[in-house]
Amino acid sequence: MNRPPLSSDYVEMRFGPRWTYISSVRKFVASFFMIGLADKERAEQISMAASELLENAVKYASEEEGYLKISIAKAANEVDVCVKNEAESHHINTLRREFALIHAGEPEQIYLKKMEEAAMTEGQSRLGLIRILYEGGAKLRLDINESEVSIHAIFPLETL
Amino acid sequence: MTNETLAQLKTDGLTVTPRLGENVMRVTAIGTVEMRDPGETLTPYWNGLDDEARRRGIKRVELDVKDLNYMNSSGILTLVRWITRAKAHEGADAYQLFVYYDGNVTWQRTSIPTLAKLAPQVVVPTEING
Repeated sequence: MNRPPLSSDYVEMRFGPRWTYISSVRKFVASFFMIGLADKERAEQISMAASELLENAVKYASEEEGYLKISIAKAANEVDVCVKNEAESHHINTLRREFALIHAGEPEQIYLKKMEEAAMTEGQSRLGLIRILYEGGAKLRLDINESEVSIHAIFPLETL
Repeated sequence: MTNETLAQLKTDGLTVTPRLGENVMRVTAIGTVEMRDPGETLTPYWNGLDDEARRRGIKRVELDVKDLNYMNSSGILTLVRWITRAKAHEGADAYQLFVYYDGNVTWQRTSIPTLAKLAPQVVVPTEING
């Protein structure tokens, strides 16, 4: 299989869906991109996105599948954080709905509305994706290939 | 001035220390919030502080998150719940929540002012750099 050449600003990790690894990955990604971008704010936004996507993946990965993968690639004008895992169909449908919802209006208003709704209900926050969109200023893309889910958080670099 | 200490919370890399001054409750959070379900621990803890503030008729609660290095979205939800609860208090029960944050820490600079928009009459975001 031909793979595109990797730039020096590329990280890929694959590991079992264990919650305790997420913090280590977040800190590593922040350090790595602090060096690669020389921009503390962008590095912290990228590491926040990595952490939120990994939290979702660990929560919703199908139990039979033994790993999830995170890759972060810097191109000329963007950084693409991608988390990939296997998921059950009902979780994939929930994700599709969530994507439609968070892209249905102005991010700040949606974030505030989701906060208010989450405060009134028990269970998961479901604030991670809209947080990446609003606080991180990233674009989100959902790719689904049968039971394999990839979520990309894409950070533009031209706005720096 | 009194400087009474209320029960401290220590859990999974997070330490929260509340202190009572004269008509003020000062709460300092240090560490990180990135456990899987912070609501299990934090929501009852924040509720306890809210109850204590109202019981004592305190009108000013100060939450200092400057040394809170990271908070995940589930942790942010616990603050949303606290703010929602505080927003519902009226009259003698009402207090203001001053949140002190470090503008050099990205999550604080973006999250805290956003949280304040949920209840502008209750939450006062206060940036302190460094």
